[in-house]
Amino acid sequence: MTVTAAPTAIETPAAVVTPAKAGTGSKVMAWLILLAGIAYFLTPLIATGERAFRAIGGTFSFEAFRRVVSDPEFLRTFGESAINAVLTIFVSLLVIVPTAYWVTLRVPKLRSVIEFITLLPFVIPAVVLVFGLIRMYSRPPLAILSTYGSTRVMLICAYAALSFPYMYRSVDNGLRAINVRTLTEAAQSLGAKWPTIIRRVIFPNLRVALLSGALLTFAIVIGELTIALYMGQHTFGPYMSNLVRNFVAEPAALTVLSFAMTWAAMGIISFLARRQPSSKPKKAV
Amino acid sequence: MSKEAHLKRKLILLLVFGLFVTACGGTAATTTAPATATTAGEAPATTAGGGTETTAAGAGGMEDLIAAAQAEGTLTTIALPRDWCNYGGVIDTFTEKYGLAYNGLAPDAGSADELEAIRANQGSTGPQAPDVVDIGLGFAEPAKEEGLLQPYMVSTWDSIPEDAKDPEGFWYGDYYGVLAFEVNADVVENVPQDWADLLNPEYNGAIALAGDPRVSAQAIAAVTAAGLANGGSLDDVEPGLEFFAQLAEAGNLVPVIAESGTVASGETPITIRWTYNALANRDANADIANIEVVVPASGRYAGVYVQGISAYAPQPNAAKLWMEFLYSDEGQNLWLDGYCHPIRYEDLVANNAVPQEKLDRLPDVEGAVFPTLEQIEAASEAITTQWDSVVGVNVGG
Amino acid sequence: MTSISEVGGNRPPPRTWNWVGIVPFLLFSTAFLLGPAAILLVRSFQANEGGWTLLNYRQLTDPQVLEAYGLSVRISLVTAIVGGVFGFLMAWAVIYGGLPRPFRSLLTTFSGVASNFAGVPLAAAFIFTLGRIGLITALFGFFGVELYQSGFSLYNFWGLSVVYMFFQFPLMVLTITPALEGLKKEWKEASENLGASSWQYWRHVALPVLLPSILGTIILLFGNAFGAHATAYALTGGTLRLATILIGAQISGDVLQNQGLGYAVAMGMVVIMGISIGIYTILQRRAERWLG
Repeated sequence: MTVTAAPTAIETPAAVVTPAKAGTGSKVMAWLILLAGIAYFLTPLIATGERAFRAIGGTFSFEAFRRVVSDPEFLRTFGESAINAVLTIFVSLLVIVPTAYWVTLRVPKLRSVIEFITLLPFVIPAVVLVFGLIRMYSRPPLAILSTYGSTRVMLICAYAALSFPYMYRSVDNGLRAINVRTLTEAAQSLGAKWPTIIRRVIFPNLRVALLSGALLTFAIVIGELTIALYMGQHTFGPYMSNLVRNFVAEPAALTVLSFAMTWAAMGIISFLARRQPSSKPKKAV
Repeated sequence: MSKEAHLKRKLILLLVFGLFVTACGGTAATTTAPATATTAGEAPATTAGGGTETTAAGAGGMEDLIAAAQAEGTLTTIALPRDWCNYGGVIDTFTEKYGLAYNGLAPDAGSADELEAIRANQGSTGPQAPDVVDIGLGFAEPAKEEGLLQPYMVSTWDSIPEDAKDPEGFWYGDYYGVLAFEVNADVVENVPQDWADLLNPEYNGAIALAGDPRVSAQAIAAVTAAGLANGGSLDDVEPGLEFFAQLAEAGNLVPVIAESGTVASGETPITIRWTYNALANRDANADIANIEVVVPASGRYAGVYVQGISAYAPQPNAAKLWMEFLYSDEGQNLWLDGYCHPIRYEDLVANNAVPQEKLDRLPDVEGAVFPTLEQIEAASEAITTQWDSVVGVNVGG
Repeated sequence: MTSISEVGGNRPPPRTWNWVGIVPFLLFSTAFLLGPAAILLVRSFQANEGGWTLLNYRQLTDPQVLEAYGLSVRISLVTAIVGGVFGFLMAWAVIYGGLPRPFRSLLTTFSGVASNFAGVPLAAAFIFTLGRIGLITALFGFFGVELYQSGFSLYNFWGLSVVYMFFQFPLMVLTITPALEGLKKEWKEASENLGASSWQYWRHVALPVLLPSILGTIILLFGNAFGAHATAYALTGGTLRLATILIGAQISGDVLQNQGLGYAVAMGMVVIMGISIGIYTILQRRAERWLG
């Protein structure tokens, strides 16, 4: 890749900033953008929080929160969904990363086909997908949906499929940012075989991309509703929707709590991902 | 193949193993379905409670039915919210009385999805296959014709009104309610008493339907009911559509779906729902808002729901026992607790099977009309196709 | 084992076994995506009363259906582009904008949560904010501005777009971050040594390099909005007739409708998605060519 960096007018700015720092102009803009973003995102959450604290009895109270937290189902379903999410992330990574790598390196012509397939989850209605899955796997010879556990495995695989758009795009962006071809050639010239290449060259350089994909996948699984509902799975989504139907304050409290807990979970995943001693996200091997 | 493929294969095997362990270890925490539930699914074909027995008597009497149901161990239902007609109380009493486990799928499912669940689960014995359904009247005949239901006549069959059941026993009405105004009296000072009141300018931006009139039976019923009060009839829903067009134009009707929560919070202070839903909400949110339920003076419209047993029910005996329970005096009374009029209401009252205080809690629904299947279908057809053009709320953009 | 000479470069004729590498992906997709969804195709040709028909597809040209497609495409485009731009700016701000370090991971993790904050909770949150008795509405009212009297409404196209941004921005942030991160520091240094200003660096170096990734992420945002259903339904009660809501009305619900039509409309969405990918691929090839 050659860098086309030909400024049209050569200016020598009065203060040539050192490469590592952003100029003050940039900083101001960055702060403005950040503040605008914060305003946009926090306002609805604050409004929800206000409802949660106020709704019962009209005065400030933790009652709604207490009611939600004292329900044992709240933590249990969240836990079940969290485990589902982690397993889904693994399955998704396992399928997508080698595929994206292969497409970039060996069969770029099939890229649009693969991208089309990965974007299909957006246009297939969830009810159609869940009933399709039930239909396919309820009858011999593929009758595997006979227990809660086996249905749960099916659920995880379905969720992995749902995560494809996000996972693929993140990994693809990551692969574009590193020079896959050169890295692979260099590794091969050093005598590395494919498994080593993927494990020790590609994965470490994709850490940021994999983290993005993992976070997005986690979010999807935690809140997913329709598929879990018709598969009779007792996960967080159905639990939330059941509560939201009927009450005023509890849903608001539930929203705030689930937001906070999911954020915490994201923080944990993010922390674990960055903790690897061998990781240096921006440096290629 | 290459080493990469080998590694991939190993990783996949590892993952599959990991998932397998999860699958085997991952028995549900809440549904305590014993392991025999899946094998018992095949058993009924040979016991007296098999698919060919259509009455409890034929199945060897109630005792045999109970035994067979308990052998199956679980009942799987769909689309039964706990706060709808006091299904919560019904379920709890049933499970305690007979010791069965209960597995409730998709409480919010619509009737179409319930039938789809039956269709998709043919041959399945897993926990996602429903045994029984509770659907709108309009779906009853199509479900029967498609072969999705199996016939069964409960022991109290004869006391179910003729026009509320299928003569061959495939479906049978379970309860009815009447459309009423659910009003948040904290927000709305003058509670409307009749349909005409709704046009009052003081209700600007206050009225919302409890469903999309193009898909929700409850909303379609509301339109028809409005028509009844404005010179229409069960066969002619045009006045209903025009009434709502007026409401929309006056700005009284807002394009939001009202729910229990939005009424209680005051976001949509007036809505039109079945009496049982409105009253249940009034009780549930009593500490947040003062909700009043008013059955309109004119235009009283009753809606019937219908029960049926899935033709592919994995636990048919449990399903039959459930039906027996629902249509027993006890079951019908539990529905009454949820403000629903059980289908055997007349019979119960005639036999003094209802405590007086329960009778007093029910709203006055004198003069409510019951549409027939054909009238419902015709009304649905007319309203779903004409809603946009006649009422067409402006969405901008 | 492949040799260096076979990796990269134009080798005539390429080994036709390369596609085998994506077989696992194809198998998985078929098992859990394409297989179950095949019913979509089959049922779109079925009539309500049974039997096969092309009527469902012919109904796709009804003004109602076309309007639904148009509305869906419009809201998807708007939220994808606006979401893409502002999302990109936010990602840039925390990575290169000189902000304190913690903001970077705060934004990342927050984006993770917000990316899937949709459906009823999201709609409820915005109703609490900008609904008729919402917080901001009340705030405006306090200063004498009656939002809803002056024609503003949360429950229309623009209101829904604002709501959609809540998950579109984070999606852009998270997905473009790997690409932004991958910008080589050397390029910035080199361009500065050549006297280019920050803006010129971005305009002539960074953005062209990032363009393929940006395009790819925008198509992701487009798809995300295109297939969204729960949020729109929760907010507008189905009055905003998006394609997804039309499909839901036909397939699910309490009133017997024309399910075949629902499936046909869904197939139409698949086609539109395919066309979008086609357009995106063309744009993508152009963008890649700029990279020399």
